[in-house]
Amino acid sequence: MLRKILLPSILIILAYGFWISPDFKEISAGVAIFLFGMLTLEEGFKAFSGGTLEKILQKSTDKLYKSIGFGFVTTAIMQSSSLVSVLTISFIGAGLIGLTQGIGIILGANIGTTTGAWLMAGFGLKVKISAYAMPMLAFGVILIFQKAKSLKGIGYILAGLGFLFLGIHYMKDGFEAFKETVDLASLGVDGFKGLLIYIGIGILATVVMQSSHATIVLILAALSVGQITYDNALALTIGANIGTTITAVIGSLSSNIDGKRLAGAHFIFNVVTAVVAVVLMNQIIYVVEIISDFIGIANDNHTLKLAVFDSLFKIMGVLMFIPFIDKLVNFLNRTLKTKSSKAEDSFDSVKYLNDSALELPSISMAVITKETTHLYENAFEIITHGLNLQRHNIVSSMPLDEVVEKEYSKEAVDIDDFYNRKIKGIYGEIIDFSTRAQSHMSPEDIETLYKLKLANRDIVEAVKDTKHLQKNLVKYSKSTNEHIKAQYNTIRRDLAELLRNINIIATTDEEDVMIMLLSKAKLHTKKYDILANGTLDNLIRKGLITNEMATSLMNDSAYAYDISKNLIEMANVIFIENNSEMKSIGEDMLISDDEIDSILEQKEVS
Amino acid sequence: MSIKKFMQSVRESLGLSDFEKSGKKKSVKNLLKKLRNREDKILKSLKKKIEKKEKKELKEELDIISLQIKNGKKILDKLNS
Repeated sequence: MLRKILLPSILIILAYGFWISPDFKEISAGVAIFLFGMLTLEEGFKAFSGGTLEKILQKSTDKLYKSIGFGFVTTAIMQSSSLVSVLTISFIGAGLIGLTQGIGIILGANIGTTTGAWLMAGFGLKVKISAYAMPMLAFGVILIFQKAKSLKGIGYILAGLGFLFLGIHYMKDGFEAFKETVDLASLGVDGFKGLLIYIGIGILATVVMQSSHATIVLILAALSVGQITYDNALALTIGANIGTTITAVIGSLSSNIDGKRLAGAHFIFNVVTAVVAVVLMNQIIYVVEIISDFIGIANDNHTLKLAVFDSLFKIMGVLMFIPFIDKLVNFLNRTLKTKSSKAEDSFDSVKYLNDSALELPSISMAVITKETTHLYENAFEIITHGLNLQRHNIVSSMPLDEVVEKEYSKEAVDIDDFYNRKIKGIYGEIIDFSTRAQSHMSPEDIETLYKLKLANRDIVEAVKDTKHLQKNLVKYSKSTNEHIKAQYNTIRRDLAELLRNINIIATTDEEDVMIMLLSKAKLHTKKYDILANGTLDNLIRKGLITNEMATSLMNDSAYAYDISKNLIEMANVIFIENNSEMKSIGEDMLISDDEIDSILEQKEVS
Repeated sequence: MSIKKFMQSVRESLGLSDFEKSGKKKSVKNLLKKLRNREDKILKSLKKKIEKKEKKELKEELDIISLQIKNGKKILDKLNS
């Protein structure tokens, strides 16, 4: 409802402003160009986020001070806290970093935004910035048209900076010309009332522009030509800091629970810091004066003093919050919980997929991989129970013959029910998400994504084959005919071995163990195929099983063979090809089908 | 000079094109080292008095490792050529 009213109101106000004042038009155009510059700059940095940024993020966030440092540095370089926030939300959503680290990054990003104020106050307002903008735009646009991703990225960054500079130029010019017709400073309000009014204006301006950076640049441009008073500018800066959290809260509505918690932390941090700043306003201004004197800022240089205020107020907030981060995390985990009814509880849903992850291809890929692993964990449960085995025995070191003896249930479990509750929904969501993620991906990424989709299909097929296998497996594993019973228990044993090995592959860091176990699994699948190794022929020839049993065994061994093949393929994609050390060599190091045949032939000869 | 060629020459002069290759080489070498260690352990175990079943399993592992070491060497040769 609010959105429906807000947009037309803004458009009407803007149109009216353009009609009565050409200078207002220039200022607005400056803000629009500046915001477009920020979008372009973000687009440029996204081109370089295909792994490098994410790797640095993961390695730089294991300690709180590192998270804060990372947030500061990346925001200072990219001049966009929103891109850093988006990345952070995506990483939390993907389970790659925790909420505490995420909050650390946001705190650092908050300090990082102050570099924008310093650049604007120290450089942007003193030189003819548009002179730098023009060549940047020209070079930038030429590079944007290039095919190479890196050149395109550089082009977007150059064009983005060009637009930022051009926007600042127009804002500055607009305010200078505006001053000749209307003196906004005469509308300034003093005292506590003025403080609250201008905080409100700061909030509103940031919510409308969706960027505190743009608001602060606008404040500095107005302050530099004396269109607003220094006191009112300070209040506007506090307001901008609150307004930016509203933008983050709105942005988090489409994200998962972790994204919402992070936005909650951002909101609490900025509002509390703002309240403290209002209460201690006089003391902070006093400290700003001392610092300004110390670093040699002239008494009448209000723009640089504003930059000092902005930095001091944000650093103060971060220092104030550091001791309480763990408490804040606990509070957010307690208060913001996923809503689920009892009926929904029995249906498992996706854990990692969320729309915020769609922003960057590498993050989309990371969440799809994690979700596929989640799907496999559910499939592992279904397959194990379908084979009438106990999960904890499979992942233990219990001898496999004993694992087979210990049944899960006296009756067959309902695999259809399991499938509907724990597989179907997640599988559908992964495919839907992959299709949406694909539109932002390069051809190489699409190829990797295709393999991931196939891995998902392999998991689903393995579950379906287990359902087919289960029927006779329950019947014959208790048969009075010892031969057929032994065959079905061998199938259970072989699959239990495969599931155990995949579990080890999924949890180990040792690459040699991974490729050894997967190669072994490939070898055993072929070795234990009773059609190929002659076991079935033997049983029939010697009349040890009936014709009906032989037909069932032949069909079911084919199902078991397919389950093994599908699970091996899946494990290769998820655990070998997605392992950073094994990615480029895993495929070549696994033994091929010909090599398997040669090992089997050797055995026959010996 | 086209931009593509220019970028290629920059990559070469900074040694960036070899970066990927050397990373791959390092991974293969590490893996080969681990596989050889494992091979040694199996050979030592086979010399001891062990059950027939265990011996069969170890021999099978040895067959796989030998092939993997061979494959690793092939990859390394390709990367060095």
